[in-house]
Amino acid sequence: MTPQYVVFMFVNGLSQGMLLFIIASGLSLVFGVLRVINFAHGSLYMIGAFVAFSLSTFFSGGSFLNFLLLLLLVPPVVAILGFFLETTLFRRVYHQEHLLQLLLTYALVLILDDLVRVVWGGDPRNVARPDVLAGSVDLFGLALPTYNVFILLVGPAIAIGLWVLLYRTRAGNVIRAAVTYPDTLGALGVNVSWVMTSTFMLGCWLAGLGGVLMAALANIDLGIGMEKIIESFAVVVIGGLGSIGGALLGSLIIGLGITFLQLPLGRWALVFPYLMMALVLIVRPWGFFGKPER
Amino acid sequence: MKARNFKIFVTFLSVFSVCGWFAASETLAADTIRLGFVADVSGIGASFYKSQKAAIDLFIEETNAAGGILGKKLELVVRDAQLKPDIGANMARELILSEKCDFLIGPTSSAVALAITKVAQEFKKIVYFHTSNTEALTTTDFQPFMFQVVPNTGIEARGCALFLSQKPYQTYGYIGLDYAYGHTQWESFKAELNKLKPGVKILDPVWVKVNETNFSPYVPTLMAGKPDIIFSSLWGGSLSSFIKQATPYGLFKGSSLTSLFDLDMLRTTGKDMPEGLLGYARCPFYAVDTPQMKEFTKKYYEKYKEWPADWAIMAYDGLIVLAEAMKKVNSADSEAVVKILGGLQFKSLRGDRYIRAEDHMANVGIYVGTTAKNDNYKDFLILKDVVEVPAEKVWLSVEEVKKLQSEKK
Amino acid sequence: MVIALFFLPFVLAQFGRTGEYWIWVTTEMIIMGLFAMSLNLILGFGGMVSFGHAAFFGVGAYTVALLMKKAGAPLYLALLAAPIVAAVAAAVVGWFCVRLIGLYFAILTLAFSQLLYMIVYQWYTFTGGDDGIHGIPRPEFLGPINYYLLCLILFLLCFMLMRMIVNSSFGLTIRTIRENMERAKFIGINVRRYQWLNFIIAGAFAGLAGGLLTELNRFAQTEFLHWSKSAEPILASLVGGMYSFVGPAIGSAFLMFLKIVVQQSHKGLVELWAIILGLVLLLVVLFAPGGLVGMYQQLFKRGDS
Repeated sequence: MTPQYVVFMFVNGLSQGMLLFIIASGLSLVFGVLRVINFAHGSLYMIGAFVAFSLSTFFSGGSFLNFLLLLLLVPPVVAILGFFLETTLFRRVYHQEHLLQLLLTYALVLILDDLVRVVWGGDPRNVARPDVLAGSVDLFGLALPTYNVFILLVGPAIAIGLWVLLYRTRAGNVIRAAVTYPDTLGALGVNVSWVMTSTFMLGCWLAGLGGVLMAALANIDLGIGMEKIIESFAVVVIGGLGSIGGALLGSLIIGLGITFLQLPLGRWALVFPYLMMALVLIVRPWGFFGKPER
Repeated sequence: MKARNFKIFVTFLSVFSVCGWFAASETLAADTIRLGFVADVSGIGASFYKSQKAAIDLFIEETNAAGGILGKKLELVVRDAQLKPDIGANMARELILSEKCDFLIGPTSSAVALAITKVAQEFKKIVYFHTSNTEALTTTDFQPFMFQVVPNTGIEARGCALFLSQKPYQTYGYIGLDYAYGHTQWESFKAELNKLKPGVKILDPVWVKVNETNFSPYVPTLMAGKPDIIFSSLWGGSLSSFIKQATPYGLFKGSSLTSLFDLDMLRTTGKDMPEGLLGYARCPFYAVDTPQMKEFTKKYYEKYKEWPADWAIMAYDGLIVLAEAMKKVNSADSEAVVKILGGLQFKSLRGDRYIRAEDHMANVGIYVGTTAKNDNYKDFLILKDVVEVPAEKVWLSVEEVKKLQSEKK
Repeated sequence: MVIALFFLPFVLAQFGRTGEYWIWVTTEMIIMGLFAMSLNLILGFGGMVSFGHAAFFGVGAYTVALLMKKAGAPLYLALLAAPIVAAVAAAVVGWFCVRLIGLYFAILTLAFSQLLYMIVYQWYTFTGGDDGIHGIPRPEFLGPINYYLLCLILFLLCFMLMRMIVNSSFGLTIRTIRENMERAKFIGINVRRYQWLNFIIAGAFAGLAGGLLTELNRFAQTEFLHWSKSAEPILASLVGGMYSFVGPAIGSAFLMFLKIVVQQSHKGLVELWAIILGLVLLLVVLFAPGGLVGMYQQLFKRGDS
């Protein structure tokens, strides 16, 4: 285990965490504002991935421009889907108890996941990486795929973008207010339902973006939705529901944890996300950066 | 409240039961042979299901067009086990009892298969396995009302060990899916390799969770030991993902890879498949040179406009066995058919084969080859220089089988 | 009415093989009904959403499987052990979980249940991993009909026990906590202790259900512990009616029945069951959160007091 090797694994694990961050931040945001844990977040991510695949079949060649187009076009599509879901379904259950909201999102998971199967079939798909990202980068004599480096850059870019949105724009201030002062928001003259809808759409946008990035990273199939939602849960719990910084921290912990724990623990490394989740919930339920909800 | 609660419950329960009986007892024609397919339709088994069903549909279509078997038409009933054993067992029961199926067609998942084989035994209806291939089905969990036309995990792993031991590799790596299939393969492979070539270096196995799509955390660990060759129990989408992701890491510059390169996987990986990898297949249509295979491939391609995957061929083979057996005893009754299953010879698409009496395992081996481009198949690579490792060389001997069978029961 | 249930299997047995299948199905309905009702002790009555109830179901299941297969224990002993072991598991898990409320409670139950699932899955040598444990013996005299009767008797016993618990002062306290936790604390109720006990009781019943299912299927498998199994009693309780006592059992039976009928009526629908279930769920959540019992009560309330 040379030091170069450790650095290599570190960088690798970071890129994992970054992809997870993009997806989990959406989940966290949606919870912070809407107070709903959207089980269907994973399904939306999956839809983003598959839509990216379909769109990519219209392009040929591995130009970066095509890939950029995917990155620009697909997330809004998912956001629009989110718009419909929020206005027709979610809105009706805000006043109901938490359990019903959760079950609603669970019902959506069942429906959406199976719809994906109906529309795209069961075969695994993928999007080809653009040529410029398809190779590898030399890191101390070990080859790191360029695409992983790309994700490593996109992640923080999104993080910064979200930070700017939340802390430097008026809309962002409103969203943060909604997270911290849910009850009094309406009194400030803010159109609360519009805040909810647009936040939800933002969450879906992030999920969709994650989907596009994943489609080129690895094969996508019908199981990726379920898989990511559980990991996202862990991230959001660790970081704190509603906190973007927390989601970043949580994603890095999970990403690096899974990478590094493999060597000593082997297969038991997969228990790590759940263990972390349980530990955090026991010791500090609202996560690192969340607000205690009592 | 108590009486009312009870009334409610009982009313519902009785209504259900009676209605259910009515719903289920539609007149079932006595002049059909019903095949119950406990399939893994949804989830990650979906692509396999597609191939399997296509081949089964083809067989039923051609057989019925030729007058059926023993004058009766074949009929297919499908249920979804969702890769879950308790659901699979439930479905198997439903197919046998309620849908009156004469034979069962097995699932993709080995876990489901283990549950179903017990149901088949309970009700004495024959089930055949074409994709799920845990060796337990013919050994510790063997029961006579089944047969297997797919090479089991033992044959695969030992076949690979045999083949690889003949090459000059010294350091062996392993990556596999962390469930029963992966474990049995690894154990069999390790044991056989140590037997054939003691003294080689076998690295610690890298286990990956079953639905994994992201292999970036695992590739460096795998490379750390600098293996000459990596044996893998990954398959299908996960294998394809792994290969695509591992290539930029330069994994295949230093190591070769041996894994299940079935057609669906080759298709999914497409042009991203590196050449020169040593893989094995269960039933590569392009490499098996029998007239039956060529004819089948042609028919399949005409109907579905795509080439038949390994699963399709084996599902079809299973039906060939059933048809042959039924004709021999002139009956569609499993209890009659099971008597002649042992030793039954049949004309598989892969050539002449037979079903071994002691464990109802067809003598089907694996096919090992090297990946290469081929002009006939523009979008994916195939295996070239394919060599068959026949089952007889690597399946468990009759004594070993008998020993295992007497154990767990 | 109860008598009718007792005679049911004999009636069904007259219908040959189809009847035999339905005996099996109704036995399963009874078992899963028990499972759903056990969850409702904490869900509907306790107001605590648990996503990890399958953990105790699975623990009970594996207890029976391991005792009978590996230790050769007789059935009655195994069925006695199942709820006890499950209760122990519930005690451990519950102790941590009841410190939290609402969503955090739910997520922690999920985390624990998945942990347990992974342990059973990975501990290959002991539990057989995802192969499960097969070939569990069934005593001779327990044919399909007799096993049905056994399950029915146990179900009724549990039913009466649960009713006693819910109507006792303990049950009243639990409901008070659900209604208004702050007020309960004010009165001096040790909320945590009550919720913990409730959790353990619910876990014990779930364990019994798991054990019964194992014996019915004659195998135990890791899927029994998966969170999707936890979802089943939640859906059943919702569809049947969370706030009624017998609602979950009805919901459970209804969903199972619906699935079979749908799949048998039209070939194409086999592949769309998930969507159908999702739609049913959606409709219930949006338009009938009281479930079937809720609807029944609304319909018949006109005539009743």
